[in-house]
Amino acid sequence: MLRCESVSKRYGRGRWVLQDVDLEVSGGDVLAVVGGNGSGKSTLLRILVGLSQPTSGQVLGRPQHIGYVPDRFTAHERVSALSYLTHMGRIRGLSGAAARTRAGRLLDRLALVGGRNAALRTLSKGNAQKVALAQALLVEPALLVLDEPWSGLDASAHGVLAEFIGEVSAAGGAVVFTDHREAITETHATGVFAIGDGRVSPRGGPHSGGRVTEVELALTVPVTGVRPLEVNWYALPGVTDAARRDDAIVLRVAREHSDTVLLTALQHHWSVESLTRPGVDHASRVGARRAAL
Amino acid sequence: MIALVRYMFTVMLLSQRYLAPLLLFVGLLAVLTSSDSGPLAATYGSASGGMLVCSVWLTMALIGLEDQTHRSVVVVTAGSHLRVLLGSVGTAALWCLPLTAAGLVLPLLFGSHTFTLADAILGTEAQLTCAFTGIAIGVLCSRLLFRRQGYALLLALILLLAVLLAKGVSPVNVLLGDLQNASDSADLLGSTAVLLAISAGVLAAAVAATQAISVRRS
Repeated sequence: MLRCESVSKRYGRGRWVLQDVDLEVSGGDVLAVVGGNGSGKSTLLRILVGLSQPTSGQVLGRPQHIGYVPDRFTAHERVSALSYLTHMGRIRGLSGAAARTRAGRLLDRLALVGGRNAALRTLSKGNAQKVALAQALLVEPALLVLDEPWSGLDASAHGVLAEFIGEVSAAGGAVVFTDHREAITETHATGVFAIGDGRVSPRGGPHSGGRVTEVELALTVPVTGVRPLEVNWYALPGVTDAARRDDAIVLRVAREHSDTVLLTALQHHWSVESLTRPGVDHASRVGARRAAL
Repeated sequence: MIALVRYMFTVMLLSQRYLAPLLLFVGLLAVLTSSDSGPLAATYGSASGGMLVCSVWLTMALIGLEDQTHRSVVVVTAGSHLRVLLGSVGTAALWCLPLTAAGLVLPLLFGSHTFTLADAILGTEAQLTCAFTGIAIGVLCSRLLFRRQGYALLLALILLLAVLLAKGVSPVNVLLGDLQNASDSADLLGSTAVLLAISAGVLAAAVAATQAISVRRS
């Protein structure tokens, strides 16, 4: 659908923020762009949605309906959240009543605190972010672009955001988002691109041949009832997270260390309940099958 | 486009940033046209001068209302930078309409004049000529091109002086000269209409320049 062809960008005579970026986004994709602060993530997103012109190269096939959520949504306006969203809906071609209904439903799902009739400028960062999210979804977007959408949102809104991303992707739309936390990108994206020194390269995900960067390992007490030995999981290589879920222990392990961790667990009499790739159903099934072999 | 103008008009209305230029305009009218009993053409010349200053102020305030992030969202929503810029210009022009009406009516209340249809048309043409030129200056000095409002304000003052003083070149200068020397409003209708068209051209050029520069920089 959307294709970047050797896109490069620099501001004025400054350094190159992006260099020779080739990127293809198809309907149904959920792509994450990871990179440090100032690595050019936001610039890439601004070029994708058409806010910025690339210095060289071109972007082809930009769809008509684009939803864009900026990283900071600081509104100094006195209009209320609902009225703002109604105006945005009208600009997108909805009727006033349809825009108002849709905006109300989105704000309900996001549980906007402070009231839908509160002025935008009185909203807290997280609530303003919810309004920013709602305005991008007033019309089912063919391309949804989110700049660090998880920062500032509360835990319940995280779930709703994941639902929104799933819905857009299920309806055939493409989603591109940035975040600097790998756990989040691994959970939600079907493909991950890393950005550094102005270059964008694919990393992990089905787009680079299904290489899994992290696996989730659930361990339980074996059926025989033998108590397994305690293990300091964090001391093992590659373990990023160890959590207790019901009576199982769920570990997140870097793919290259998963065999070692698995072996250690078995040696300590733990039973493997499941071995999955977090977040992506298709890949997790592949992961499970691989584990069965 | 109507939805866009409606949104920007509402934001401006709620921000109350229109209040200062509006009061300035009414104040200028009161000072310049009270106890005046000369030909209305000259009176409307004064009103047009006030309109020039106030339309610059209104346009700069209107475009400066939204910060960059917020404008980005509106641009993506509306579909293009140009559409949003045209929306801003349309909204500024819309705000100048009530000022024009005030400029037509208030001098009649402040002074004693005989009012004809030709006077009304001439007054409207003259004020809109100044409004278009003022909006053109406002767009060029807006936040779209100047991050630092100090420089923008300085440039706005220089441009204002230039269009007022550039003899024979600026439509505003020609217009004000004509109006001062006119005895009958009906004689000036044709030439003022031409000046109105020229100032609309100036506005279009200013919009094109602003669009080109801001897109290059974005």
